[in-house]
Amino acid sequence: MTIFSQSVSPCGKFLAAGNNYGQIAIFSLSAALSSEAKEESKKPVVTFQAHDGPVYSMVSTDRHLLSAGDGEVKAWLWAEILKKGCKEMWRRQPPYRTSLEVPEINALLLVPKENSLILAGGDCQLHTMDLETGAFTRALRGHTDYIHCLALRERSPEVLSGGEDGAVRLWDLRTAKEAQTIEVYKHEECSRPHNGRWIGCLATDSDWMVCGGGPALTLWHLRSSTPTTIFPMRAPQKHVTFYQDLILSAGQGHCINHWQLSGELKAQVPGSSPGLLSLSLNQQPAAPECKVLTAAGNSCRVDVFTNLGYRAFSLSF
Amino acid sequence: FSLPFFPADEVIRKRLLIDGDGAGDDRRINLLVKSFIKWCNSGSQEEGYSQYQRMLSTLSQCEFSMGKTLLVYDMNLREMENYEKIYKEIEGSIAGAHEKIAECKKQILQAKRIRKNRQEYDALAKVIQHHPDRHETLKELEALGKELEHLSHIKESVEDKLELRRKQFHVLLSTIHELQQTLENDEKLSEVEEAQETSLEMDPKP
Repeated sequence: MTIFSQSVSPCGKFLAAGNNYGQIAIFSLSAALSSEAKEESKKPVVTFQAHDGPVYSMVSTDRHLLSAGDGEVKAWLWAEILKKGCKEMWRRQPPYRTSLEVPEINALLLVPKENSLILAGGDCQLHTMDLETGAFTRALRGHTDYIHCLALRERSPEVLSGGEDGAVRLWDLRTAKEAQTIEVYKHEECSRPHNGRWIGCLATDSDWMVCGGGPALTLWHLRSSTPTTIFPMRAPQKHVTFYQDLILSAGQGHCINHWQLSGELKAQVPGSSPGLLSLSLNQQPAAPECKVLTAAGNSCRVDVFTNLGYRAFSLSF
Repeated sequence: FSLPFFPADEVIRKRLLIDGDGAGDDRRINLLVKSFIKWCNSGSQEEGYSQYQRMLSTLSQCEFSMGKTLLVYDMNLREMENYEKIYKEIEGSIAGAHEKIAECKKQILQAKRIRKNRQEYDALAKVIQHHPDRHETLKELEALGKELEHLSHIKESVEDKLELRRKQFHVLLSTIHELQQTLENDEKLSEVEEAQETSLEMDPKP
């Protein structure tokens, strides 16, 4: 089993995980973290079949869980999700150019300022969907191959997307145009042609962006489009995120790597899966006692880190 | 018989707890009661007196033991007060420590932010260092500009010289041509004159 995606509930007490069979499992973090946790607390509270294909990406709004994988995005109400036989609230499919093959959706991104959802995946376009009306407002074209990951630049309403074509593209949401392109594989310092040019993971911190995948994990300064720090990690990274003054990354290999912005490896914390595909930091203000880092990947287990330094325990699908 | 207010087993329990083995004050009081009865029933004056003395000593022993217990009780009360005070102090310091922890956590976050900023600065500085210094580049630009000016001056002067030479040659050539023309003209004139003379000689005067 492979767990592709995770999402924390708005109350912070539950974690949803989606796997390659199309199932979504809801775990109760508050039960598993409490002092009377037993073995059953580490099992899902409820599991249901959400999609026909793998659930590649999930995000949570303040009332819904949105999941996507096989070309459709479905919404589930968090308040109802724990009951058996939960049905989706709605399902939508972005307007694809060909109706023969439905391309998969690899990444979802919420843009809270305009209350919309961005979907990206196999058809190389970024589709924007307004969450209130369900209408698809924009289709941003520019990538020449499918898109792996998305990131939001909060201050200016810009979206970054990274794809198989090896480019990280910055889209300005107001003009719906490509504002900047960084072709990572063209830079000698970080390109690794033997791994390919695909960009598997992307994270941004307004002025800075870190991306990795085929090329080495690199920190970029966005305004000058220059690579400033290359992180010496041979294995391609599949998920990266900024956290306080660190950059956390995970990919092939069972450890979560903690990097400092200067390029030093501060720590390597082993998890229980042979490879990791997604990291999730529960920073919901409503549940500070459930503030954990969860990691999941090529196994049926979700590792829970209460203190970033070691794995506390694992939830199991 | 049992006292109306205290349940019998409670009293028994308490008495057993305090003095279960019977080798203490309870026994002494029992002995006192027995010896009092014996003294009442005693015969001779001396025996009665000695009994009386013995009873007085037992009584004083009991009083002493009671006094000791009272003092211990007092001490316990004061210890309790002392503990209460210490307890309150510790509670206060725990609350203070909690606040300090919260404060320190905030400071850690701040320090982390500062470290992050510093590292971002370092990263950019490294990149900038790779580019040459602006002063030097400006100086190089200035030097190059001066050279360019100098060279264009030279070019101008060379062109002027060329022009001058061209003009001079032109003058020279045109003078030569004129001279050539003049010489040709003169030759032609002299040829014509010669021809006229020969025709006069050939043709005698009539």
